[in-house]
Amino acid sequence: MRTPKSRGAPIDSTRLAGWARRFSGYRRPITEQAIDSWLGPFGDQQDVGARLLDSVEYVSHDLIDGAFKAILPRLSGWSKGTAGRTGKWRFVAFSTSAGESGDSMLFRFRTANGMSAARYRELFIHKSELLREELGPDDTVVFVDDFAGTGRQACEAWASNLAELLPGNPRVVLLLVAASRTARKKIGSETLMRVESHRVLTTSDDLFHSSCSHFSGTEKRRILELCQLADPRKPKGFGDCGFVIVFAHRCPNNSIAILHASNRRWKGLFPRD
Amino acid sequence: MQQPRPSASAPGHVGVKTIRTSELQPNPHNPRMLFDRAPLEMLKASIEKVGILVPLTVYWAKAQNAWVILDGQRRWMCAGELGLKTVHVNEVAEPDLVQNIVTMFQIHKLREDWELMPTALKLEVLMRELKEKKDKQLAVLTGLDQAVVARCKKLLSYPKSYQDLMLDPDPAKRVKADFFIELYAVRNDRVVNKMRWFRRDKFTQRMLEKYQRHSSGLKAVTDFRTMKQHIANAHTAKRDTQLSAKLKEFTYDDSLTIDHLVVSGAGTAAETRRLLALVAKVEESLASMNVADYYGENELWRRLEHLLKLIRQKLLAAGRRLRA
Repeated sequence: MRTPKSRGAPIDSTRLAGWARRFSGYRRPITEQAIDSWLGPFGDQQDVGARLLDSVEYVSHDLIDGAFKAILPRLSGWSKGTAGRTGKWRFVAFSTSAGESGDSMLFRFRTANGMSAARYRELFIHKSELLREELGPDDTVVFVDDFAGTGRQACEAWASNLAELLPGNPRVVLLLVAASRTARKKIGSETLMRVESHRVLTTSDDLFHSSCSHFSGTEKRRILELCQLADPRKPKGFGDCGFVIVFAHRCPNNSIAILHASNRRWKGLFPRD
Repeated sequence: MQQPRPSASAPGHVGVKTIRTSELQPNPHNPRMLFDRAPLEMLKASIEKVGILVPLTVYWAKAQNAWVILDGQRRWMCAGELGLKTVHVNEVAEPDLVQNIVTMFQIHKLREDWELMPTALKLEVLMRELKEKKDKQLAVLTGLDQAVVARCKKLLSYPKSYQDLMLDPDPAKRVKADFFIELYAVRNDRVVNKMRWFRRDKFTQRMLEKYQRHSSGLKAVTDFRTMKQHIANAHTAKRDTQLSAKLKEFTYDDSLTIDHLVVSGAGTAAETRRLLALVAKVEESLASMNVADYYGENELWRRLEHLLKLIRQKLLAAGRRLRA
């Protein structure tokens, strides 16, 4: 979570333009007018809304590329050249829903690491090709995705089909742009996947946690009220994570509801659809 | 560096031995969401009373440097839950990939609630390694129902990108195997494949989008059966050109429903009504029949047996799943 401006900082055209510039490239255009409308429901506490926008951790496409570029060399046994590589390496999209983040993440990962050339094609495979690859303990499978908030989905996926596709016990890495510490711990203990993430979110990134000092108790209560209006079932986001992280391609559902919920009661600035 | 094998168990010598429960690992070819809780509780109660009567079958996996269970995962899970420190095992030689997959198929059979795609992928490995493609042979080899083998092969006929959709980590987004199995009949229909505009993967993509949007003329996977019927009816009535135009319109226009595919004069509605009336009559007569009164009527029983066989054949041909 970014440090917001001090209380009472003016919400003027410079600040509005700054947000619009920072959030540019989101899947739905974010205009100054949209930001102004979004601040409306905060009423006489628009300062809270403004500081909330300051604190949003916006992960642009460039930052995603940078994260992927930074993580790969950290993996032991990896080398771009075949001779320097330990065992067989395969990169796979973790989530594969049509048009969803996993596929596009794998593409970004490949280009960010300069592996667009045809000679690297065999390294990038479909999940459904894993079994026939017959990967063994000396080999490495790298699942690529953007984010893990609670780790529940990764653990369920491991149990429901992933483990079955990797019977030869290869080293399995879940490579993410960002992950919460809770998710890393859960995935590490319940699966054979090791999480490698560029950014680790802790309790201080949970807006409602006591260790988040950017907002006072009163301000947190006001934010929660609006979150409950936006999504009464998951006001703090999926898994009660309370995050304010937004990726340029999509806002995770673990982020607080007022950022992404879009319905009759609320119009989020970062809709997920 | 590999660690030495646990000395107490002295693996390598095939036969019965005792090893620590914690040293065992489940077989990686097992579906993980494998066991219903109720029967597991019954087995646990039995083991608590009399112990594990049949030793587990295990092998020493050289690459993993670990004991792996070939048969007896339920017993092992119960032993763990009961806090049994050791279990009796029967060590067998390490199976190769094919042997391991076949054994897992034979032991666990297939349950309805399991994901079909991982099973299909294992079948793909077997087909490649054994150079065997016949449904019947594969069914014998794996212990899977022949209809299940056929369903798996239908899934394997799709490009890998579609297969991946059945393996999505998010259960809400994971596309059910039934979608692709039901779509198969239309996607591979000879009449449809001759249509000039038709491209298999584009069509599949559009159907997927329609199905996922719910509000776009495709409500359930069984709609593909209706679609297939409309195609067959139109073809029988020699109206392929009209059908082609309608199918193209339906494919790209989300406001159209399946009924759009009805080609006038090509329906079977009247024949369906006639058959339904006949079936109702036979049903009523059979329901009211006192079997004892007809014991000696061999011709009647012979004809009924024949009818049963015929009904079975027709149901299978229509892709209906038959229960024993």
